[in-house]
Amino acid sequence: MMSLNRYILRRLIEIGISFFVILTLLFFLFHLAPGDPVARMVNPNLSAEDEARLIAHMGLDLPLGQQYLRFVGNFFTGEFGVSFHYGQPVAEIIADRLPNTILLFTTAVILSALAGVWLGKIVAWRKGQPLDTAVTIGALVCHTLFLPWIAMLMIWLFGYRWGWFPITGMISPEIWIDPHSGWASKGLDILYHMVLPLLTLFLVHFGSYLLIMRSSMLETLGEDYIYTARAKGLPEKVIRDHHASPNAALPVITSVGLSLAFSINGGALTEKVFSWPGIGRELVSAVSYNDYPLALTCFLLIAAVVLAANLVVDVMYAFLDPRIRY
Amino acid sequence: MSADTNNRSAPSGAALPEAYWQSAFTESWGVLSRHTIGRIGMILLGLFALMALASFIPPLIDPIYNPMSGVDPIISYTSGPSWRHWLGTDFIGRDIFSQLLAGARIAFMVGISAAFMSIFLGTAIGMLAGYSGRWGDTLLMRLADMIMVMPTLLVLLVMAALFGQLNIWTIVLLIALFRWPGVARVIRSQTLTLKHRPFIESARIAGASHLRILVRHILPNVLPLALLYMSFRVTSAIIIEAALAFLGFGDPGTVSWGMMLQWVWKTGHMFQAPYWLLPPGICISLLTLAFYMLGRAMEEVLDPRMRREDPEE
Repeated sequence: MMSLNRYILRRLIEIGISFFVILTLLFFLFHLAPGDPVARMVNPNLSAEDEARLIAHMGLDLPLGQQYLRFVGNFFTGEFGVSFHYGQPVAEIIADRLPNTILLFTTAVILSALAGVWLGKIVAWRKGQPLDTAVTIGALVCHTLFLPWIAMLMIWLFGYRWGWFPITGMISPEIWIDPHSGWASKGLDILYHMVLPLLTLFLVHFGSYLLIMRSSMLETLGEDYIYTARAKGLPEKVIRDHHASPNAALPVITSVGLSLAFSINGGALTEKVFSWPGIGRELVSAVSYNDYPLALTCFLLIAAVVLAANLVVDVMYAFLDPRIRY
Repeated sequence: MSADTNNRSAPSGAALPEAYWQSAFTESWGVLSRHTIGRIGMILLGLFALMALASFIPPLIDPIYNPMSGVDPIISYTSGPSWRHWLGTDFIGRDIFSQLLAGARIAFMVGISAAFMSIFLGTAIGMLAGYSGRWGDTLLMRLADMIMVMPTLLVLLVMAALFGQLNIWTIVLLIALFRWPGVARVIRSQTLTLKHRPFIESARIAGASHLRILVRHILPNVLPLALLYMSFRVTSAIIIEAALAFLGFGDPGTVSWGMMLQWVWKTGHMFQAPYWLLPPGICISLLTLAFYMLGRAMEEVLDPRMRREDPEE
């Protein structure tokens, strides 16, 4: 596995460079944009004395070059500044919101990928039959549904009309304040709040994974080893589930990585509509409040996560497919 | 990726005669119109094109039907469908149906112009990278990889934070600037396979300049592949613009479907006014579906073996 280690190292360096470029671009955009960059980093509601202290602390009075070094240094030491809107260090807000985003987002991606692989496998096996046509068109429709709209529909139907699920937030405060409620009821409460946002993300993602699995499966079914398996007289189900689908599922993993940027757009929209307290919603709100420190940090964090996730996907691919050698 | 997209042999690659394009077009059209998904896509697109054209009519009938400034003198709140307002009115009494028609026009405008620009950029950069090779190639492709993984909507949000209200053309330009890498990667690999073909070598020996080789000999061979991406880029541009408008960062001077949804949402009419909530969402979803279906159908027409690597947006 020596070569894999070297590959990971090379990719890590590349990711580092990419991240650095993004950080630098953002810094210069920040200073190029019309308006006063100092005003953008300092809460307008502070007193003159506090303002001077903050400016000195963050180095906003330094020459641009030194400010840049400071900016990079601050970022890597977790000094993200203070949010205007919350009046709280950005690092604290992020630490509080990040787990919520990870919970919702990874659950949605994993569930939809599994479901897509499973159903894609089945319809590819019945290519051309009514089931295949119906599911393929259904998947196309799901894939192009406008996410905020479907989220609003869910809230309207399941939350308001039928009242089955809560329509906003992640917890019911009364359960969390009550000292008698144990972790089980708290966990169930979160799950209960998660149903609608999860369903929304699931619907929109599942379609594209299904379509990829279906076409990949169709391609795999033409391979020689499938003919061999048939010639050996193996049961159809064994050929489908043990011979064809493990290989056919590999492109789905790649596509999870490639479509991550798209999924994250959707994640932010979902969080916003359902008021799910995550990074995406924080970014959108921060932009509306002109809360620059929070907005920039959320963005950079998301960028870093996407870059790292792509590496994880590639490495996973190498482990799952023994034919891949770096 | 190295798939040769011309499934009929292109006459020596260089300067394709008009007849070639014509036959390619009629052949593609024939396959496309027989393809079920392609046919559904085209019918839907036709309907939306009619809507976009019809968007000029309501304001001519009566100024109260102006999608942006038309306010009905007797209705200044949201009301359900009626003869006077087929789909009802919004929170200040503007006609939802005429807003919906205007939204179709904006969606086509945004989608097609952003797609066109990103295809142009992607083709140019991909050809340059593939043709120049060495460090130019490495540099451009690393840049492409980096932009490719950026969530475009969030990038646009940050731009809106820094530069304030973006107008519709800035949004189009920004979408194009961030959505070229997928195209560039495909065009680059196609250029790489073309670069060492005999007809390029002979053009070079005959003394053709690099620019001439790129434009006259490589471009015609990569163009079909680039145009294939057009549909998918339209889809993504429409979705990004709609999402941006939905979040409240769209161009305040245009009525887009995303903007209509933002109004329903922000004015708290989501639960009371399904006649207002449903139409814009259905339109966005169906129009993007139409372009997406057309793209998939075209993909199969141009090359049945080609598998898309770019499932997103």
